[in-house]
Amino acid sequence: MQEKTITVTIDENGISTLDLEGFAGKGCEKVFEDFRGGDMVKVERKKPAYYTAQVDQQEKSQR
Amino acid sequence: MSKYSINQTVLREEKYLVEALKEMGYEVEVHPEGAPLNSYYAEQEAKVANLIIRRQHLRGAYGDIGFTRQPGGQFAVVKDELDEHRGYGARWVGRVQQLYKEKQTLAMARAKGYPLISHEVIETAQGEQVRLQFAVRR
Repeated sequence: MQEKTITVTIDENGISTLDLEGFAGKGCEKVFEDFRGGDMVKVERKKPAYYTAQVDQQEKSQR
Repeated sequence: MSKYSINQTVLREEKYLVEALKEMGYEVEVHPEGAPLNSYYAEQEAKVANLIIRRQHLRGAYGDIGFTRQPGGQFAVVKDELDEHRGYGARWVGRVQQLYKEKQTLAMARAKGYPLISHEVIETAQGEQVRLQFAVRR
């Protein structure tokens, strides 16, 4: 299983990027909110693993 | 892989804002009820702020710089327009936000148990970037 990591990069304009790796499905939402810390989200992208995990979950529930 | 976002730092927590300003070398006055700012033109209407850096601590500045708590909870910068061009414009505010976000993130991670893996300052063409990497305890 891939290790879960969170990378926060903050530039001199006060813009931060938040990159969550190794999470599946909705497991990253709480971690995301912890690290967002009330900041204003300008761009948000879910990565392919999120959707893969969602499909896996749906397939399991249909069985 | 799961999620990526770009966020604008919002100054909300007084503690980390004061720490950020102190790291920049300023003496910071804290006024929970607010206190007036001195400006270049004495006849200007006095502005009030909750955190104040007096102009004697701001090299080349015409007036004091303050941070005022807004109804939504965030701090807004209050300063003399003349100081926008004296080194206290958007770039200065961005540096305050960068230090604030760094301190807030490290404190939150410590409190919530996200172990710090690495803490780097990277030189880029756009200036210094702070890069923090954390793990998740299982």
